[in-house]
Amino acid sequence: MAEILFYVLSALALLTGFGVVLAKSPMMSILSLLGSFFCLAVIYLLAGFQFLAAAQILVYAGAILVLFLFVIMLLNLGDMGVVAERSNSFLDSTAARLGAALAVGLGVIGLVAASKAAFQPAQAEPGKALDGLEAIALQLFGRYSLAFEAASILLLATMVAVIALAKRQRKSGQNPTQNGGRA
Amino acid sequence: MSPELQEILVWIVKVHVIFLGMVGTAAITTLAERKVSAWMQYRHGPNRVGPQGLLQPLADGVKFLFKESLVPEGANKWMFRLAPALAAAPAMLTVAVIPFGPDVTLFGITTPFSIVDLDIGVMYILAIGGLSVYGVIVGGWASNSKYSLLGGLRASAQMVSYELSMILALLSIVAISGSLDLREVVLQQKTIGDWNILYQPLAFLLFLIAAFAETNRHPFDFAECEPELVSGFHTEYSAMRFALFALGEYCAMVVMSSLAVAFWFGGFSVPFLPDAHWALGIAAFCAKVTFFLFLFLWVRWTLPRFRFDQLMNLGWKVMLPLALANLFVTGAVIAYAPQLKALWQNLFHGAS
Repeated sequence: MAEILFYVLSALALLTGFGVVLAKSPMMSILSLLGSFFCLAVIYLLAGFQFLAAAQILVYAGAILVLFLFVIMLLNLGDMGVVAERSNSFLDSTAARLGAALAVGLGVIGLVAASKAAFQPAQAEPGKALDGLEAIALQLFGRYSLAFEAASILLLATMVAVIALAKRQRKSGQNPTQNGGRA
Repeated sequence: MSPELQEILVWIVKVHVIFLGMVGTAAITTLAERKVSAWMQYRHGPNRVGPQGLLQPLADGVKFLFKESLVPEGANKWMFRLAPALAAAPAMLTVAVIPFGPDVTLFGITTPFSIVDLDIGVMYILAIGGLSVYGVIVGGWASNSKYSLLGGLRASAQMVSYELSMILALLSIVAISGSLDLREVVLQQKTIGDWNILYQPLAFLLFLIAAFAETNRHPFDFAECEPELVSGFHTEYSAMRFALFALGEYCAMVVMSSLAVAFWFGGFSVPFLPDAHWALGIAAFCAKVTFFLFLFLWVRWTLPRFRFDQLMNLGWKVMLPLALANLFVTGAVIAYAPQLKALWQNLFHGAS
């Protein structure tokens, strides 16, 4: 049962992954990505990683994708503007599209293979998580605390950099929303 | 009857009782909204259908089912139909982990009165609850109307902003409880002196404000905002699709009230009766939730709406720093002075 579910979900994750790059409207891309994240979360659940599954939904689907959606709606108001704009750009050539699709596909296959390697349904008792909060916390703030703090500093630096760039542009009289948000 | 069959039967009964209970509460809240607003404005409110208008939600439901459900000409048909389900489903899913009562013994079977007790209940609620914004965004976008789009945009910005403060406020409670399991959090608040509201009043205030913003209720209902956006994201919706948006909103109110009760007000613990009967426990939970539902209505008909920049300033410049500071102080107290907590409890429990 769990194995069948695993293959179905993997196939769905692949399909929605292709949908992300092949969809015409950016809105459909986002929703495909949402579907892909959900399939991955359920695969985590099947492997017994409850916390990881919840974190996946909370962080990616609940926060990051919503911001993507917000930006897409804010910049081109949800119409096909973005597709028309980039019609002669690099991304529109068939080769580039195929390449992007291939890259995403390979990535998803890699992920699926990785989770397949960790996929041992016999170990996962129903209702019990393999990844206890305590275990994760000990690893995150013990063994990997340096990497964890470094990542947070990197994120902070990125935020400061983005704000600095946006401020500079406004000073030189350019409104970043007026040129299609490519600035 | 074999144990497996019994377990499945108990589970099916629990799912139906809890789910129907919540949807029923949401339906009654729609009536209460109109009754309370009427009471606050010296009007009668709905009083034609049934005694005192009590059957009004039923009449509304039947009306919604039989009305024509329009799909606008320029709308994205598929997404337009998907959005109401996306809006209603998250609130209905989160109810699964809320502990509505203690262990219930009925017909010789003892079972905890919640659909499932997850180790990561808080994470589950935050993860699924965070998805409720999709219904609003997709609905606003698919309608192909400027009012709907503006409503959807506002909702997405607002809900992402306030989700942060809300998660941080809940984390302060998780830090002092040491568990992500909601039943565990509730069981640690047996007597009134243990209620988390005494230890984390600031977190409660932040959660309450964020809950109003997350459910798009007054004074933060910018997604609808009828004077400027007609009805915001659901302007183009009619009949049952519109009703699903409303149902999602009221179910979210029930979930948020339940969370406030479970995290800060002892959940199903009865004040001054630590060993009360389970029925009393469930009644206590319902009474506490009813108060918070009333608070939602009370605020709606009392306070004026914020301005959008005020909303953003409050969320990012006031609530987020406060929530972070609260979590930091909580963590510092737990880590460096556990004796402080013992002192605090001694103050409330005396010699016991």
